[in-house]
Amino acid sequence: MLSETSEAIVLEQVGKRYLLNLYRPDSLKTALLHLPSVLNGRQRWPFWALDDISLTIRKGESVGIIGPNGSGKSTLLRIMSRIAPPTRGKVTVRGRVSALLELGSGFHPQITGRENAILNAVLLGLNLREARERMPEIIEFSELGDFIDQPMRTYSSGMFVRLGFAVAVHVRPEVLLVDEVLAVGDAEFQSKCFAHIEKLRAENVTIVLVSHDLWSVARFCDRVVYLTQGRIVMDGPPQPVIHEYLSRIALLTSLPTPMPSGAPEI
Amino acid sequence: MRVIALRELRRTWELLLLLTFRELKLRYQDTVLGFVWSLIKPLLLGAVLYLALRRIVRLDIPDYHLFLLSALFPWTWFQTSVMLSTPSFAHNGNLIKKVRFPRFVLPFSVVANNMVHFLLSIPILLLFILASGGRPSPLWLVGIPLLTLVQLGLLMGIVLLLASFDVFFRDLEHLTEVFLNLWFYVTPILYPLDMVPARLKPLYFMNPMSPLIEAWRKLFTENTLPGPELWVSMAFVAGAAALGVGVFRRLEGGFADAL
Repeated sequence: MLSETSEAIVLEQVGKRYLLNLYRPDSLKTALLHLPSVLNGRQRWPFWALDDISLTIRKGESVGIIGPNGSGKSTLLRIMSRIAPPTRGKVTVRGRVSALLELGSGFHPQITGRENAILNAVLLGLNLREARERMPEIIEFSELGDFIDQPMRTYSSGMFVRLGFAVAVHVRPEVLLVDEVLAVGDAEFQSKCFAHIEKLRAENVTIVLVSHDLWSVARFCDRVVYLTQGRIVMDGPPQPVIHEYLSRIALLTSLPTPMPSGAPEI
Repeated sequence: MRVIALRELRRTWELLLLLTFRELKLRYQDTVLGFVWSLIKPLLLGAVLYLALRRIVRLDIPDYHLFLLSALFPWTWFQTSVMLSTPSFAHNGNLIKKVRFPRFVLPFSVVANNMVHFLLSIPILLLFILASGGRPSPLWLVGIPLLTLVQLGLLMGIVLLLASFDVFFRDLEHLTEVFLNLWFYVTPILYPLDMVPARLKPLYFMNPMSPLIEAWRKLFTENTLPGPELWVSMAFVAGAAALGVGVFRRLEGGFADAL
């Protein structure tokens, strides 16, 4: 029983298929003209963004997901956050999940930072009372000062993401899913974000971090999963997995250089 | 589990309120007349219709302006809600793809926002009634909440259905607009249900808005509570709700991928 409750995220043979339209019937006219082929699905091309992913993440673990563009990292986070369902397999997530797939989703430029922050906090999982209680912390963290009561259209992009990040990390999740959003603000604010993530880690929050920034993955994660073309290539401690990833990149980037004759074509 | 469910319910409710307030605030932000626009629009439409039908066509209905406005205000709530909430999932793709939250709050907040505008227009109607020598009755205190609930239920079912389909079939936004304009004329808003020939009457009872509009009008102009004919609308409420919830639950999973 103990082992069961210590699992925060369990994926069992998860697959995610997207049907890509070779042509998209985006209007009634084209849909009617092509109705037969649309109905029998001949125009659609299945693409497996994730294929046979089995992964168990324990409570309090910090896991980095790395891999080239289009390898399925973001799809994986979307499935873990239950924003999109898997096509195959089973997903179990225990505890309150906060998914930081984008900072400030749903911020509206015409209303003030404070109003946006409260709405955003409720969207991300707090109730209204909790959201109001945490506003002082959020305002302090975001370093917005009096700007908090100005409409967000007056904000710089840095102020915008600072508020987004401040809200997201103050909703006190048990599972935090982060997609490539740590590179916000200036160097000082970034280090503050990292310090905060470190604090959450110390509080035993489960963290899944998707990033191209291998340095931060190495620094914040106990474990790294390397994805390519929707499959897990390697799963283990940061150093060897990152090393493997880098050596494969090195292999790929060395390709354009002249090769000895007789080398296999790739 | 029970505690979590209650917590979620409360949060969903608060989210709905916050979104509704935001919409109320945003709708006429930076306009000089603000909320007054919500009154001007149906009033102007009413004035033109009054001129055309009472003065030119010479429809013989006493106090035609009250007859018209008492139907036009609730209809405006209905039409604006359906029209604005149909694209409410499709136009919030960014949010739906990035945040997990109870998505039905998006169309419902549009309905709630327009309900507030409707309720605020009732005092204007009251002024017109008083100016024509009419008197409101305490029955309004029963009738207004009752009819508001029926219309709210009907709207929630319809907008869930339309907004869900619209994610996959954007033409629906335009179809809805056209259809609502036609719906306006086949609902007894400009004319009383009594004027409809007996042959066409069964058709009128297939329209959930027709007994509902009649009921609003009877409440405001004759101070009477709706009779059994409202059961037709109630049956549609149940049907629309079942269909709306069914379709929404079935399609919801695909929203994030389709947007």
